[in-house]
Amino acid sequence: MTATIFKKELTEMLRDGRFRWLSTSVLVLLGAAVLMGMAHTRDVQTQHETAQAAARQDWVGQGEKNPHSAVHYGTYAFKPTMALSAIDPGVDPYVGVSAFLEGHRQNQFEFRPAQDATAMQRFGQLTAATVLQLLIPLLVIVMGFSVFAGEREQGTLRQLMSLGISPGRLALGKALGVSGALAIVLVPAAVLGVVALTLATPGAEVAADAPRLAMMVGAYLLYFGVFVALSLAVSAKAPSSRLALVVLLGFWIVNGLVAPRAVTDVARSLYPSPSSFEFTTGIQAALADGLDGQSPTDARMAAYQQEVLAEYGVDSVDELPISFAGLRFQKSEEMGNEVFDYYYGGLNDTFESQNRVRSLSAVVAPLLAVQSLSMGLAGTDVAQHRHFSEAAEEYRRMYVGRMNEDIAQNAGAGRYVAEAGLWASVPEFDYQAPSVGWVLANHRLSILLLFAWLAVALTLAMRAASALRPV
Amino acid sequence: MLGRIIRHEWTNLAADRTVWVLAGLMALISLYGVYNGATWSAFQRENIAMALDEERDRLAGHRAFVESGQEPASRFRNPLSPDSVGGSMGRRYAYLPPAPLAPLSVGQSDLYPYYFQVSTNSKQSFLNTHELENPSNLLSGRFDLAFVVVYLLPLLILALSYDLLSSEREQGTMAMLLSQPLPLWTLALGKIALRALVVLALALGFSLAGYTAAGGALASMDALLLWMAVVAAYSLLWFGLAVAANALGKGSATNAMLLAGIWLVVVVITPAAVNLVVTTSYPIPSRVELVQALRTATEDANARSAEVLSQYYTDHPEYLPEGEQPDPNDFTLRSYAVREDVERAMAPVLERYDGQLLRQQTLVNRLKWLSPAVVAQEALNDIAGTGLARYQHFLGVVDRYHDELRSYFIPKVSARATMTTADYDAIPVFEYQEESFGEILGRVSAGIVGLALPMLLAFGVGARILRSYPVVG
Repeated sequence: MTATIFKKELTEMLRDGRFRWLSTSVLVLLGAAVLMGMAHTRDVQTQHETAQAAARQDWVGQGEKNPHSAVHYGTYAFKPTMALSAIDPGVDPYVGVSAFLEGHRQNQFEFRPAQDATAMQRFGQLTAATVLQLLIPLLVIVMGFSVFAGEREQGTLRQLMSLGISPGRLALGKALGVSGALAIVLVPAAVLGVVALTLATPGAEVAADAPRLAMMVGAYLLYFGVFVALSLAVSAKAPSSRLALVVLLGFWIVNGLVAPRAVTDVARSLYPSPSSFEFTTGIQAALADGLDGQSPTDARMAAYQQEVLAEYGVDSVDELPISFAGLRFQKSEEMGNEVFDYYYGGLNDTFESQNRVRSLSAVVAPLLAVQSLSMGLAGTDVAQHRHFSEAAEEYRRMYVGRMNEDIAQNAGAGRYVAEAGLWASVPEFDYQAPSVGWVLANHRLSILLLFAWLAVALTLAMRAASALRPV
Repeated sequence: MLGRIIRHEWTNLAADRTVWVLAGLMALISLYGVYNGATWSAFQRENIAMALDEERDRLAGHRAFVESGQEPASRFRNPLSPDSVGGSMGRRYAYLPPAPLAPLSVGQSDLYPYYFQVSTNSKQSFLNTHELENPSNLLSGRFDLAFVVVYLLPLLILALSYDLLSSEREQGTMAMLLSQPLPLWTLALGKIALRALVVLALALGFSLAGYTAAGGALASMDALLLWMAVVAAYSLLWFGLAVAANALGKGSATNAMLLAGIWLVVVVITPAAVNLVVTTSYPIPSRVELVQALRTATEDANARSAEVLSQYYTDHPEYLPEGEQPDPNDFTLRSYAVREDVERAMAPVLERYDGQLLRQQTLVNRLKWLSPAVVAQEALNDIAGTGLARYQHFLGVVDRYHDELRSYFIPKVSARATMTTADYDAIPVFEYQEESFGEILGRVSAGIVGLALPMLLAFGVGARILRSYPVVG
C-alpha cells in the first residue's frame, strides 16, 4: 500500500513542470558550485604549498648568522586547505591565511581573502553548502506544501481516506514520495561530486576525508528529513495549501536568512570581544609590567639572573659555564608566552562562547546546526582555524626555544655566529589536522539539535497525519 | 473615485489582524537593525577616541622628555631622533570616522580596518590590520536596517499585495466592482497606492526614527533624503512586480509562487551567481604569494643597498638638505632607501591584487543591474559610507598623509637633525577629508535610476496586460 502511494506521489512530482524546472536549476547551480569550488580549492592549495616550501627554503638557506638574527628573520605558517572546503568553504574567506612566526611575539593571522573581494561576497557565496542549506529545503517545501492540503482542496483526500488507509501509512508514503523525488536530484549530484573530488585529490587524502564526507552526507540527510517532515506536518494541518506555503516559506526565511544574522548580533552582545585596540595595548602593557600590571619585566629579569647565578654558585654572568644571553632570551620568551596565552586564549574563548550561542540558536533554526556541523566536517570552522593557529604558535615556540638553547650552549664571549647547518636541524612545520572524533566532539550540540529537530518534525508529522481531516 | 477606493481599502486592510502583526514585526526588526548598527558605529567611534588619546599622551610624553634635556636611554627608542620618532615612537593614527548614516548599514565596515598607525615605515607594515571579529559573525553578516530593507521589506510588500486583484476575483466581488462605472486600472491603482502609502510610511518612518535614535544630526538630512529615495524606489519596484503578476489573471496561489520565485532569484540567487562569475573571471590569488614576494624584494634591496641609496637621493633631492652629501655607509639612511626600493618592487605584485579587485568591481558595476537587490544594497552602503568606494577614498587620504609624514621626517633624518619641541608641535596631523556629497550623489543617483527603470517597466507591463484582464473565470 505504502509502495503504491510512493509510486503515485513520485510520478505526480516528476510530471509536474514546476518540479522539473526547479530541480534542474538546483542541479545546475550545485554542479557549478562544486566545480568552481574545486578549481578554487586546488589553486589555493598549490599556492599555499609553494609558499610553505619557499618559506622553508629561505629558513634553511639563511647562511651563517647569529641564531637570534635567525629568530628575527623568522619564518611563516601558511594555512593548508582541506579538499572538502570545495564543498563548504566555511569561514575560510574570513580568516587570515598566514602568520609570521618570529621571536618575541605571537602575530595574528593576516590577509583575509574576503578583504580582497567585492561587496558581493556578503550576499553569500554560491557554494555547494549554500545550495544544500538554502535551496534544497526550498525545493522540499515546493514539493511538499500541497501533498495533503492540495488533495483536500481537490476533494481527493476524502476519497483516499474512505478507502480505509491508515493515516500513518499515507503520511509515510507521501514522505517517501517527496524524498524519492529529492533523491533523483541529489543522488546523481552526490555521485558526480564524489567522483570529481576523488579525481581532483591525491588518493591518500581521499581515504582520509572519506569518513568526514560520509558524515557530511549524513548531516545533510538529517537536515532534509526535517524539512520533509515539517512540510508534511504543515500541509496536513493547514486549512489551505496557500496557507501551508506561506507558513513554510516563512519558516524557510527565518531559518535561512533572518536567524543567522540576528544571532550574530545577539552573540556579540552576550559575549563582546575586545577591540583590536584594547587587545594590542593590553598585550603591550602586560609585556612591560606583567599580567598583574605589578611586575615590571626588568625586575623579573633581574631576579631571574640572581636565581641563575645562585644555581651555578657564581657571582657574575661572565663566570657562568653557559651564555646567559641564551637564557635571557628564553626567559623573555616565556614571560611573553604567558601574556600571549592569556590574551589570545581569552579572545579565542570569547569566539567559542559566541559560536556556542550560534549552535544553541539552532533551537529556532536547524540551519545553524547543519551549518556548523558541515563547516566542522569540511575543516573550515573557527575551531579548526584555532587548532591550526595554536599548532603554528607551538612551532614558533619550539624553534625559538631551540635557537635560544643553541645560544646558551655555544655562544661564548664575543660575537657568535652559528653554522648554517643549525637551521636544517629545526624540523619542518608539519601540521596535522584534527581527527573526525575531535570535530564531532566539538559539534556535539549541533548533532544533538539536528536529531532533536528531526524527532520533533517527525512527531509533528505523525500527529498531524493521524488527526487528518478529509475536508 | 481613487480617493474612495483608497479609503475603502484602508478599512479592509485595517480590519485584517495579520496586517497589524506584520507591521508590528517590521517595526520591531527595523529598530533592532538600527540598534545593532548604532552599537557598531559607537564602538568604532570609541576606539578612534581611545587611539587618539593614546597618541596625544604618547607624543606629549616624548615632547616632555625633549624639553627636560635628558639623555636618551636607548639608541633605538630615542625621542630626540627623527628616525625613531618618525619610524615608531611618533606614529599617528589615520582614521575613518563612521559617516552620519553609518548606523543604518554596517555594509563592509566590519571587514575593513577603520584606523591605521601611520609612520615613515612602508605601507605594507601598517595596512594589514583589521578589527578583531569572530569569523562566523563575518560569514553571516550583521542584522542591520539595510538587511531589513533589501531582504525583508520586499517580502512584506509581496505579502500585502500578491492577491491584490486575484482575491477579489476569487471571492467573486470583482465582477460586482467592475459593474460600477469603475475602470480596472483605477481599482488596481487605488489598491496599490494605499499599500504603497502604508509601506513607505512604515519604511521611511523607521529610517527617520532610527536615524534620530542613533543621534543623527539634522545637518546630514540630504543623506537621509537620499536613503529614503533609494528605499522608496526599491519598494515601488516590488509593488510594480506585484501589479504585473496580478495582471496575469492567475490565482492567488500561483501569484504567491511566482512572486516568491522572483524574490528568490533577485535577492538570493542572482547576487550569488554574479559573485561566482566575477570571482571566476578575475580570480585573486592567495596573498601567500605576496608574503614571499615581499621577502625576496627586501633581501634583494638589502643586497644592493649602497646602489639603492644613491638612487634614493637622485629620486628625492628634496629629502637631502642643501650642501649635504649622503654617507653611503649610513645604516639608517640605507634602510629608508631599501624601504622605498621594496615598495617599488612590490608595486606590480600588489597590482595583481588591487588591480584584479578593481576589475572585479568594474564587472560587478556592470552586472549588478541584473539584481535590483544588489543595486539597492550598494546604494545604501554608499549613503551610509560603509561601501568599497568610501574605503578606497580613505586609503587615498591615508596615502597622501603617509607621504606628508615622510616628507616631514626623512629630511630631518638625512640632515641628522635632533627633534626639538617645535618639531614635535609641527608633526603633520591626520585630517580626514570626506568625499564630496556630489560624488556620493552621482553614484547613488545611478542606482536610483537603475531601480526606477525596472519599476516603470513593471508598472508599464502590468498596465498593458491589465487591459486583457479576465474579470471572471
